[in-house]
Amino acid sequence: MLSRRIAATAVSFAAFIGLWWAISALEIVNPVFFPAPPLVFSAALEMLEGGVLFSDLQVSLGRAAVGFVAGVVLGLLTGLLTSRIAFFNLMLNPLLSLCRPIPAIALVPVAIVWFGIGETSKYFVIGYSVFLTVWLNTHHGMSMVAETYVRASRSLGASRSREFVEVIIPAASPYIMAGVRSAAAVAFLCLVAAELTGASGGIGYRLQESRQYIRVDRMFVSLIELGLLGALLDAIFVAIGRRVIHWEQM
Amino acid sequence: MDVATVVDIGRVEVARATVEFKGVQGKTVTALAPTELELTPGSFTALVGPSGCGKSTLLNLIAGFLEPTEGAVRLDGKEITGPVPDVGIVFQQYALFPWFSALGNVEFALKRLSLGKPERQARALAALAEVGLAGRERQYPGQLSGGMKQRVALARIFAAAPKVLLMDEPFGALDAITRASMHRLLLDIWTRHRTTVLFVTHDIDEALLLADRVHVMSRGPGRIVETLDVTDPRPRTVETRSPQVSAARAQILELLLSSDH
Repeated sequence: MLSRRIAATAVSFAAFIGLWWAISALEIVNPVFFPAPPLVFSAALEMLEGGVLFSDLQVSLGRAAVGFVAGVVLGLLTGLLTSRIAFFNLMLNPLLSLCRPIPAIALVPVAIVWFGIGETSKYFVIGYSVFLTVWLNTHHGMSMVAETYVRASRSLGASRSREFVEVIIPAASPYIMAGVRSAAAVAFLCLVAAELTGASGGIGYRLQESRQYIRVDRMFVSLIELGLLGALLDAIFVAIGRRVIHWEQM
Repeated sequence: MDVATVVDIGRVEVARATVEFKGVQGKTVTALAPTELELTPGSFTALVGPSGCGKSTLLNLIAGFLEPTEGAVRLDGKEITGPVPDVGIVFQQYALFPWFSALGNVEFALKRLSLGKPERQARALAALAEVGLAGRERQYPGQLSGGMKQRVALARIFAAAPKVLLMDEPFGALDAITRASMHRLLLDIWTRHRTTVLFVTHDIDEALLLADRVHVMSRGPGRIVETLDVTDPRPRTVETRSPQVSAARAQILELLLSSDH
């Protein structure tokens, strides 16, 4: 089963690259705008040898990590407050619900005015979006705990604090974990948005720089780098989720 | 020998208890008309009735999940005002915690007793062995069949040593064979622990198979319309029931049919 899936993936990748190669070989468009796979490959080698491939990765990942961790911590805490204490829910829920539809990208100019084009503005935009995503899922998960679990816990004589730790948190954890996973994707999105508008390093910055030199081959390398990194991060979060919330997949 | 003289704890009294809800447009809906009910210590009582007849309301009232609008519910003379471990409940949807193993679920019920961990585990293992789940303690509810899940739920509740056990259609989701073996197991454990049991079901045969006394409920508003005693010795089967029990069955069926409009 697994080997069949691997084979299918290999075939689909090969077909995609073949098609890409065929179209570029037809030279309908200028190869500068639509470079063939070997050109992109050599651009990747060039970026690897120049060191930018890994330095971009490092810079971008570092930014995403700081914003992500800050957003997750804040989102969890706020979700805890709004789901458990009616006062915080009344005060914060409408406000946060109004903030959610604002695209994070729209915050980039504001962040630049507030914090300059340094690291802080990136942390802010990433952290903000991650926070809202994690908050919503935490709030939802903790408010949706099945009444039967709470009743069972109380009639078995559990104190409120034990009920919280041993019943509410585990019952909400699938939602929370799903929130953290989608927040990772959101963090990535905001990272690139913030880097595109002003930075001195990182994958988004590299894309912008390559545009100035019309190096589409190098832009393709950065895009592939983003795709691989995103997929890898998602796979990591899925694996963590499987371990932590082992009972959900059975 | 009368059971009541052997065990003198676990007496439940429902004294003219009424439950009303505010329905849509502020209308008052009576879920339970003034109801009198007494469960004698160590007895096995069944509540039968169609859905919406208030049998779950009555059960939730005794469990302390609901407060009576009027009247009172008392356990051994003390008013019940909220869920307490003295009143255990087994739900139809098992209500096992899927994040704990079978052992973890039973231990959950024992944690309030502030035993040491080895003692707690030993008791939990003994409770699981009593329901025939020795060797399954490390499995999670998701890995167990419906019948085994309900066995864990029974182990968990009896480990907590409640004075009263409320069961809300506990075997409703099980197949016929599993149900029959659960009936046997339940009677077996009940004989040993002599907990007062209130068993809610919509299955007349199940009620007559298990209980000493059957209350028939009707809806609109929910109330007890008939009470019948079952004196056949246990173990009972459908085939060997006495003419009295057969007559009781016909009478209950007639009551339920006449109230079903």
